[in-house]
Amino acid sequence: MAFAAEHDVPIPYMQRTRDYYLRLGYGAYRWAHFDDVPFSPLRRPLAEARLALITTAAPFQPGAGEQGPGAPYNAAAKFYKVYSESTETIPDLRISHVGYDRVHTTAEDPNTWLPLAELQQAVKRGRLGALTPRLHGAPTNRSQRVTMEVDAPSLLERCREDGADAALLVPT
Amino acid sequence: MPTVIMGCAKDIVEYCGVPRFLFSDFPLGNSAGRPFDRPSQAFTLELALRVLESAPAARTTVQSSLRWHDDAAWKLDFSNLDRMTPEQIAERRREFDDIKAVARAKREQA
Repeated sequence: MAFAAEHDVPIPYMQRTRDYYLRLGYGAYRWAHFDDVPFSPLRRPLAEARLALITTAAPFQPGAGEQGPGAPYNAAAKFYKVYSESTETIPDLRISHVGYDRVHTTAEDPNTWLPLAELQQAVKRGRLGALTPRLHGAPTNRSQRVTMEVDAPSLLERCREDGADAALLVPT
Repeated sequence: MPTVIMGCAKDIVEYCGVPRFLFSDFPLGNSAGRPFDRPSQAFTLELALRVLESAPAARTTVQSSLRWHDDAAWKLDFSNLDRMTPEQIAERRREFDDIKAVARAKREQA
């Protein structure tokens, strides 16, 4: 059994990003960091549970520039308010507004960042009880205050309104 | 509310601290599996559901066994200054200033 390559570890994004922005002449970014991490146990079997899906993907915005596969980073496609979309169909959501790895992936297949089709299958198979009728979009706001005081409470309220027993969060 | 996160940035998510985390060692943008590979997407979701069901305590991370490539060289590229020329760095700086200006205008409109 051979050893793996030395660099074959999860990418140290914080170190890379810190070094990168300092070299570009910007200040150090401060990531969210908590000592207290709450834990809520799942209260019913998944086959009887209703799951909410939360995504950082953005609804396609006509007129907001290139948002398709391989598009350059597109700040004009960002959104700053929580939104909700039906989970009965597949909404047109994109990730051109976030810093995904544009060298090694092209965002051609939405199923890589939005597992909605797979979740619908899981419900059909009986693996999951149900999906909530809506999925919710979490803004990728660089203000941690807005994320914690405005966006997160709004997401939780929407999940509760929809009778969610649990939430699956898929950030990009 | 019980939660599970599917993601590709292990250090950032763990530094934040979350209840349950299914980590895929893939390029950012592939939290839910490999492109055009439904078995990989189904496997990734199933792992996340199992983490949601069975994590014993907060800060539980499970790493998917799937690999992006046999060769891990792709991991050396992301925002790696050692692989950029001074001209590329200057270009990135200009791009980033533009992006920040657009984002600021958009946020103020919102």
